[in-house]
Amino acid sequence: MFNLKKIKQNAPAVPIFVWTGLLVGIPLIYVVVLSFLSRDNLGNVVFEFTLENYKRIFDPVYLKVFYNSFLLAALTGLITLFIGYPVAYFTANLEPKRRSLAMGLIILPFWISSLLRIYGWIILLGNKGLINNLLLKFNIIKEPLIMMYNFGTTLVGTAYMLIPFMIIALFNSVDKLDRSLLEASYDLGASKWKTFFNITLPLTMPGIAGGFILVFIPSLGLFFISDLLGGGKNVFLGNLINAQVTKGRNKPLAAAFSVGMIVLVLIVLYIYNRITKDKKEGLFL
Amino acid sequence: MNTKPKRLRTFYLSLFFVILYIPVLSVILYSFNQSPSTAQWTGFTLDWYKELFNDRVIAEVFKISIVVAFLTSILSAILGTAAAIVALHVTKGMEKKINTVMILPLLIPEVALGVSLLLFFSALKLPFGYLTLVLSHSLFCVPYVYIMVQLRLKEIDISIIEAAKDLGAGTGQIIKTIILPLVMPSILTASLLAIAISLDDVVISTYMAGPTSTTLPVHIFSMMRVGVTPKINALCTLILVGTFFIVGLSQLISKTRKQKEEF
Repeated sequence: MFNLKKIKQNAPAVPIFVWTGLLVGIPLIYVVVLSFLSRDNLGNVVFEFTLENYKRIFDPVYLKVFYNSFLLAALTGLITLFIGYPVAYFTANLEPKRRSLAMGLIILPFWISSLLRIYGWIILLGNKGLINNLLLKFNIIKEPLIMMYNFGTTLVGTAYMLIPFMIIALFNSVDKLDRSLLEASYDLGASKWKTFFNITLPLTMPGIAGGFILVFIPSLGLFFISDLLGGGKNVFLGNLINAQVTKGRNKPLAAAFSVGMIVLVLIVLYIYNRITKDKKEGLFL
Repeated sequence: MNTKPKRLRTFYLSLFFVILYIPVLSVILYSFNQSPSTAQWTGFTLDWYKELFNDRVIAEVFKISIVVAFLTSILSAILGTAAAIVALHVTKGMEKKINTVMILPLLIPEVALGVSLLLFFSALKLPFGYLTLVLSHSLFCVPYVYIMVQLRLKEIDISIIEAAKDLGAGTGQIIKTIILPLVMPSILTASLLAIAISLDDVVISTYMAGPTSTTLPVHIFSMMRVGVTPKINALCTLILVGTFFIVGLSQLISKTRKQKEEF
């Protein structure tokens, strides 16, 4: 049965769906279609159905790229969680004035150019960089340390870029924590660590899961970080898609990899929804 | 809390903030270094800034970036605000759907979104340049405006709107005389955020830029790939000063808003 009043009330929402449909929905459908098409020798797309592009994902070379990207994103999530949790926890316990100062310092990097923040690490970690200069000057080392252009540098850069997202998600969760539960736990004789693992940690789980999502998704696609800090030694999905589109001119293959990347995101989102299903405060969906 | 954990807390937080800001500060510091290499500090200079002002290419891409950022912020402010007002009007179930649809562009990794737009726009034979840049930037700026305006709308006392309705005001009149003035500070803050986001985007702009219309971050990225020069440091420092000016402005807006509310 159509409810005329409801339809009339919801009618103004139509343009919103048209906007997102045009700029997200249709392009994504187009990419999915494209990923099943082939190309000729000149790089033009030919309307001929093929599974070749998906078969190539399972080529060990490309499988390694998926593995690299997943590893980078998962490790970024874990590192930002371990470094960020104490930051969020301590900040939430600060007195009001210092607390807003700390929150300001956590949020400020959002306004600082991401290229500048990555470039800063080149200045610090380069062979002629600041850290090597200082270590050489004080005779701690004889030869400059080689810190740039490996998986670790990319990881440092990605974690550095995304840690504010993690901290904010964690902070919101820690801040909502009911202090009386902690006091009750202490009163009943539980130790600090026991209280943390039995009460604080489970109650802040939605923040942990939310922060993980907020860090995991973008870290799959920030190709400029691995380009600048990783030096192209380790290839990640973002770099591969970028190279296929701009240099390789293999649009169907790039489309198939994009679909693969989105599927990876969907799997993670699905797990996130399962984790936070019975808790009301999900981030989205 | 006794003093020992407190000291640990202060130490941990201080260490974290030092590491968070050292890369930024070293970029600023070396923009004033005479030597073109970071290997040594040879003295203070403003030469790199002078060289920057004589660079025609940078002036050109800067102009493009500013135009794109302003158009993006205007378009996203209009669309984001309109969507937030619509979400207030529709049924609860529809509001939830709108929330999901609005946040969708932020759930897709930027490369995938950029590539899908690139392939789609080139299939449509749209000319790459201002149009594609503004459309794609708006796509991921609208969610921020939507969220910020929606938060403010939820604070509005619904009885004011009911009263206006009872007194015979139409929807358009209510929006114009009640809702818009109340959410204006949020719209302005969100627009400034949109400018900052647009000015900072590298990934999507890489795909959306036309042959003659590269944006500043895309240009800086290509400069950085070639190597380290203090000119990049100087350019980054100037951009930092510019964005902090915008941050200051948005802080000022929210401050005056709070003062107004106290009356």
